[in-house]
Amino acid sequence: MEIETIEMGEKKARFVIRDTSPAMANALRRALVNKVPKMAIDTVEFHLGSMRDEEGKEYESKTPLFDEIIAHRLGLLPVPTDLSLYTYKDKCVCGGEGCPNCTIIYSLVKSGPCTVLSSDMVPLGDPNLAICDPDIPILELGDGQSVMIYAHAVLGTAENHAKWQAASGVGYKYMPVITVKSSKRAQEIADSCPRGVFTVSASGDLGVEKPLDCMLCDSCVEVDGGESVEVVGDETSFVFSFETDGSLSAETMILKACEVISEGAKAFSESVDAL
Amino acid sequence: MIIPVRCFTCGKVVGSAYPEYARRVSMGESPEKVLDEIGLERYCCRRMIISHADLIKEVLPLG
Ligand SMILES: [Zn+2]
Ligand SMILES: [Zn+2]
Repeated sequence: MEIETIEMGEKKARFVIRDTSPAMANALRRALVNKVPKMAIDTVEFHLGSMRDEEGKEYESKTPLFDEIIAHRLGLLPVPTDLSLYTYKDKCVCGGEGCPNCTIIYSLVKSGPCTVLSSDMVPLGDPNLAICDPDIPILELGDGQSVMIYAHAVLGTAENHAKWQAASGVGYKYMPVITVKSSKRAQEIADSCPRGVFTVSASGDLGVEKPLDCMLCDSCVEVDGGESVEVVGDETSFVFSFETDGSLSAETMILKACEVISEGAKAFSESVDAL
Repeated sequence: MIIPVRCFTCGKVVGSAYPEYARRVSMGESPEKVLDEIGLERYCCRRMIISHADLIKEVLPLG
């Protein structure tokens, strides 16, 4: 299997994998969605009661949203994850009690009227653990309303809950192979493509400018029943793309996904040998 | 109610896009252009923003 990178950003990756099968491409997709672990908020403590600010104004700990909705919204926030630092809570040296090796604690103390944003979540300890996207609205507070929350983030995978899914929009398509046979109806064919794959040169020749944008829709073939162009998908090459929520970089995700696949394959072959 | 944190379909974080979208569209920019510039490509994420009714302020006093 050969990988050719087209785009590798912090949160977005697009690449071509060659000399492989649909099964391998799908294994990579499933590993990216389901098997790559990340940190997400799992336990939320709400502290009830009233509090007073410096000027003596009283705030009641009540909110327009139900506590369970707030807890759910906190769970979905992207928590920055360094996979070399954290382990699963139940496999940790602390024996599942929670320690800096397996848990990140955030505090959220805010009084209204205001919009509570993800940047108001204060991590205990390292300030680099602040939520990846600072502008996500968590809830709104009215006059005299306040929240006081402690939230615990732990490592998990999307097999248990989608909040532990770092990748979104994970998908692949067969590598488009476009052959131009005739330029007789060049302009008509170029105009038929919804993705703007073709160009027509000054001399009227039909050219393929952006073959990777082709989505194998066959609009260009339907113009004259395949007289001018032929479009097929190469079943051994795939154009792969996905995005991350920022908790892990795209590159880390691919490396981790490959590691998960090879570990799974090794474990499977060992259990087959044991039969 | 309040803008969902993530897209229901694909899981991309869309919550942070809504305040910017609402501000720019209210100033007369085209929703299509704003969504493109914010980086919401898929129609699942775009519908989260364009179909959202921000009613949280209506329930604020009931907290
Ligand atoms: Zn621990
Ligand atoms: Zn989406």
